[in-house]
Amino acid sequence: MTPFFRKFRVLFSTQFALMTEYRAEIVIWMLSGTLSLVMMLVWMGQAAAAPGGQIRGFSAGDFASYFLATWFVGQLLVVWVAWELDFEVRQGTLSPKLLRPMDPMWGHYSGHVAEKIVRFPIMLVLVSLFAWLAGARFSLDWRVYLAVLGLVMLGFTVRFLWEYSLGLLAFWTESSTSFQEVVWLVYAALGGLFAPLAFYPQWVQDIAVWTPFPYMLGLPAGLIAGKATLEQAGQGALVLIGWLAVFVVVRLWVWRVGLKKYGAVGA
Amino acid sequence: MTRYLRLIRIFTGATISAQLEYRANFLGAVLASLGEVGVALLGIAVLFGQPGTVSVGGYSFHQALLVVGFFMLTEGFISVFVQPNMSKIAEAVRTGSMDFTLLKPIDAQFNVSTRNLNVLRVTDILIGLGLIVYAASFLTVTVGGVGVAAVMYLSALVIVYCIWLALSTTAFWFVKTQNMSELFNGVFGAGRFPVTAFPIPVRAFLTFVVPIAFITTVPAQALTGGLSPLLALASPLVAAVLFVGSRLFWKRAVGSYTSASS
Repeated sequence: MTPFFRKFRVLFSTQFALMTEYRAEIVIWMLSGTLSLVMMLVWMGQAAAAPGGQIRGFSAGDFASYFLATWFVGQLLVVWVAWELDFEVRQGTLSPKLLRPMDPMWGHYSGHVAEKIVRFPIMLVLVSLFAWLAGARFSLDWRVYLAVLGLVMLGFTVRFLWEYSLGLLAFWTESSTSFQEVVWLVYAALGGLFAPLAFYPQWVQDIAVWTPFPYMLGLPAGLIAGKATLEQAGQGALVLIGWLAVFVVVRLWVWRVGLKKYGAVGA
Repeated sequence: MTRYLRLIRIFTGATISAQLEYRANFLGAVLASLGEVGVALLGIAVLFGQPGTVSVGGYSFHQALLVVGFFMLTEGFISVFVQPNMSKIAEAVRTGSMDFTLLKPIDAQFNVSTRNLNVLRVTDILIGLGLIVYAASFLTVTVGGVGVAAVMYLSALVIVYCIWLALSTTAFWFVKTQNMSELFNGVFGAGRFPVTAFPIPVRAFLTFVVPIAFITTVPAQALTGGLSPLLALASPLVAAVLFVGSRLFWKRAVGSYTSASS
């Protein structure tokens, strides 16, 4: 196992150096994912106009807390590996990576984790600023943030694996990134980017509880905003671990089948 | 003038025949369009799905749907006409192939703005038009309203083009501008909702700083006859000012262009 960790550490430190070079871009990427901020403003407006100043028990301040937390968690769950795989398969730059004594997945994974670490401090500054402007309040219980960290790490890995599997469809089709966008829509809807899950019709909620989406995005956001309990976090973690096992197998299977299909460009 | 119209015809023919070589991408484009409209519709569906909610920012469901329609139409306009051209400016500056554009005996801004089309994303335009017609069938729309809305929307398209041109023109100094368009898309996402749905400071920002309000809300208001005369006058004015401004900016950028390498 030790040689593996040594390789991973080297990959990680090169990726970290790379990502710190891109810090200005990272700020722009962060600001371009505005959907939860837009939804926050609209819901705040709705709550202010509603009789009693509340919608389903959410005041304007509650909406600010929830959606800022969603934005924060969503930023930590950003995965762009499908685009990279699409590029590598089509341009043939995947070929040299296949010669390395390690699954190319680890290079992408370490790159994503390194980017998150660069992103984190910038994000804290922006979230604090927005929270102050919008009047959001976050949980003060430190255990909540441990639970959030655990859920986000699990959720990120689950998302990484499904995006990787989708990206590998580039072996068969040139539209793999479009599939990625459609799956993103489901993730955004059931994850709670448009509204907290409790705002959806009952039948949607009944379907959503079987998917990984609410536990990776809506649940950690609810915890931060003080709208979810630690017990729910434990249950969510179990569901995510189940999905993690599923996607590990799916990813490996698509990779093995796809590789047989791969003919390098120019061959 | 006829020369430029003829050029547009030649450019269109060339770009369409190039794209038909990649017909398989059509599936991807359709999926992307469906994703785009899905986001917009889900947003308002959840808002109006709450018990007791009959309006968002003073807009009824069908009026809000009208705004979504204009959003999709604009999204389609950008994907089909604007982005395919503007994204190539940065590339041309970086590699130095802008030289060839500037050497041609036609206006360079005209050339970079009309050379390419992405016909595959025409589905966005169709979806947008469909939504507008569907939503309007539930509302009282007068012939005058349609006329005013057409003028307002034409101004909106000019505004969109000018913002994109100005952002892409910064490529002459900054080289990488793909991120600029990302940022525009991020702010433009607010155009899915009527501007009145936002808190007042944000509303002012979306009207005066980045004129998103003129792009989707104002045409929708014009169609249903709820447009204030002040905004009706402001929209073409903003478009004209931006058009002249972006033209001057482009001229200045081209003036400082020194080609790639040495």
